[in-house]
Amino acid sequence: MSTEESGGERANGDRVNRQNRGAREEILRRVREAVKKAAPRLDAIATGPLFSPIPNPLERFQTECAANFMETILTPDRAGTAAALRQVLASLPPGEIFLQDTPELRQLAPAVQERSVRWSSEGGPAESSQATISLCEALVALTGSVLVSSMGCGGRGASVVAPCHVVVAHAAQLVLDLEAALTHARQIAFDNSYVGLITGSSRTADIEKRLIIGAHGPRRLVVLIEQ
Amino acid sequence: MSGAPLEQFHHDAQAKAQDPAHRKTIRWAIDTYEASVAKGKTRFMNWEEARQRCYEIKWEAVNHLDRYLEEFEANVTKRGGHVFWAADSEQARHYVVELARARGVKRVVKSKSMLTEEIALNPGLEKQGIKVWETDLGEFIVQLRHEPPYHIVTPAMHLNRAQVIELFREKIPDDVTGESHEELVAAARRALRREFFAAEMGISGANFLVADTGMIAITTNEGNGRLCTSLPRIHVALAGIEKVIPRMQDLATLWPVLATVGTGQHITTYSTLIGGPRTAQENDGPEEFHVILLDNGRSRLLADPERRDILQCIRCGACLNACPVYRNIGGHAYGTVYQGPIGSVLTPALSGLEQFQHLSYASSLCGNCSSVCPVKIDLAHHLLHNRRNAVAEGARPWRERLGMRLWRWAMSGRRRFQLAGRLARTVLRACGGVSALKPWTDFREMPPMPKQTFRQMWESDKNLNAKDAK
Repeated sequence: MSTEESGGERANGDRVNRQNRGAREEILRRVREAVKKAAPRLDAIATGPLFSPIPNPLERFQTECAANFMETILTPDRAGTAAALRQVLASLPPGEIFLQDTPELRQLAPAVQERSVRWSSEGGPAESSQATISLCEALVALTGSVLVSSMGCGGRGASVVAPCHVVVAHAAQLVLDLEAALTHARQIAFDNSYVGLITGSSRTADIEKRLIIGAHGPRRLVVLIEQ
Repeated sequence: MSGAPLEQFHHDAQAKAQDPAHRKTIRWAIDTYEASVAKGKTRFMNWEEARQRCYEIKWEAVNHLDRYLEEFEANVTKRGGHVFWAADSEQARHYVVELARARGVKRVVKSKSMLTEEIALNPGLEKQGIKVWETDLGEFIVQLRHEPPYHIVTPAMHLNRAQVIELFREKIPDDVTGESHEELVAAARRALRREFFAAEMGISGANFLVADTGMIAITTNEGNGRLCTSLPRIHVALAGIEKVIPRMQDLATLWPVLATVGTGQHITTYSTLIGGPRTAQENDGPEEFHVILLDNGRSRLLADPERRDILQCIRCGACLNACPVYRNIGGHAYGTVYQGPIGSVLTPALSGLEQFQHLSYASSLCGNCSSVCPVKIDLAHHLLHNRRNAVAEGARPWRERLGMRLWRWAMSGRRRFQLAGRLARTVLRACGGVSALKPWTDFREMPPMPKQTFRQMWESDKNLNAKDAK
């Protein structure tokens, strides 16, 4: 509990902490005691790979994205990426755009010049942002997922607050499967308070099992892949 | 055995089983689910191997729970998060309510968490004048109806669109622009978006607690879980102690399997890992991160090697959808936080065998629950074990105990058996049924008592056949 609390609240916090230490020791004691007795275990069976090999990762990534209502645009170079970005933004309603503040995305700034821009160095995206633009940690061919992080990709809100999220990626960031993606995630885990895989647009099927795209998060997820 | 839960269960189960509109809604939902899951499983080269791997990950975690819990705690603390150990519901609820009070929290946004239902967190917060919003669409709908979740994955599975239209027109009229599925989802989005940005505290559950990195894993499709854990300045996550897994790498198996059996997806849209408050270098995110580890009877289950694997459950909902009893009586009739086969084995363990042993009989023992469980919990046998335990503890009603004794006596001698059979036939013929059979005979005709016993029929058939042969 924070240091600005009043005396009464601090006393209460201390009481909670004391009780907590007691509960912690008690729970751990019970757990240690419990697991001393061995439980039955099913026989192991030989397990091979869970999924079939992926011959062409980029093609697989694009197929998965298309099946999952994501857009992918392949670009030959930086200028191509800027042009694609300009085109995506032109299709959106007027309003502020949020950009991750990195030298790479600063280079793309001319593509968004017509709009007011908020950079991640100024904080999180505004509620009214029309789009957020960020880098990614990796692209996952197996599932058509984008691996993002809080430090590396413009914060937590950058991938979820606006109706449209544009990811600027390189083909070299493509990894085969979830093992590879999580190996990367594990390496950066302690530098980030958030790491996550995003696979498609926000969705729900809570009313009569009907799939509706665009619940609380982005309705559109666009991945620009520079080759 | 006595008391309200049993009677309530009989009453509600009977009412729901006889409700054609309810049956239609549930059948549609579960048929749709089954079609998606069947398709989803084809993405695996070998589904049984995937189940085996999940089983082994969770077995390893549950059987070394102390080690992984301490590792998880140390890593969360290293990241600047707080870990609170709660022995029971009261301690967990108290911690969250006191934290909210101390921080001047007026509004809370919540993503889906069955554990917060278990500890009745919302009423605790609301008593302090704190407004709590459920932000998962299904949870939002049942919250507006003042109902508990109907299903651990699909909370509003029992409702059709017309009911949602009526509800939204009454509760959030300003946000409703139309009656299509899309417009209803948009209405909920508008209503809740204000709350996401205004709330001071976000509360989430956790699908997994990852020991080697001190992160919680949350899976959501709508993005509400992401918003709840990104925008408010305080994030509180609640999880049972059994949720811990050893390594982040384990999610490469658990995530796609959970998604497949949960909804038929290959992987859930937002497969999220959160480990602490925002770092000094990050531009947004909560300033405080609290994880509450709840025991509430779980260590008791752990202490029983026969029942320990119940703690391997990943709350995917597959056994509910697979259960013929669930399909007929629905989620609310169970009268418990966790429904279906997993609820029927878990509730007696967490809330008392005496009061909830009747749930062991809410099963046809067909074994479908065991066969679909992605972590290979043999639910059907756990239901049987609970029946046995209830008998061993003398928790069955005296009439049943007496009846069983008489049955054993009558069955263990031929003359006694014949005598008992004759008695039973006479009584049934005279009374046209007995009260114990009422739940069955109220909706079905009692077949007429045969004139002959099986033995007599056998004898006369033998004579007939002998004649035919001539």
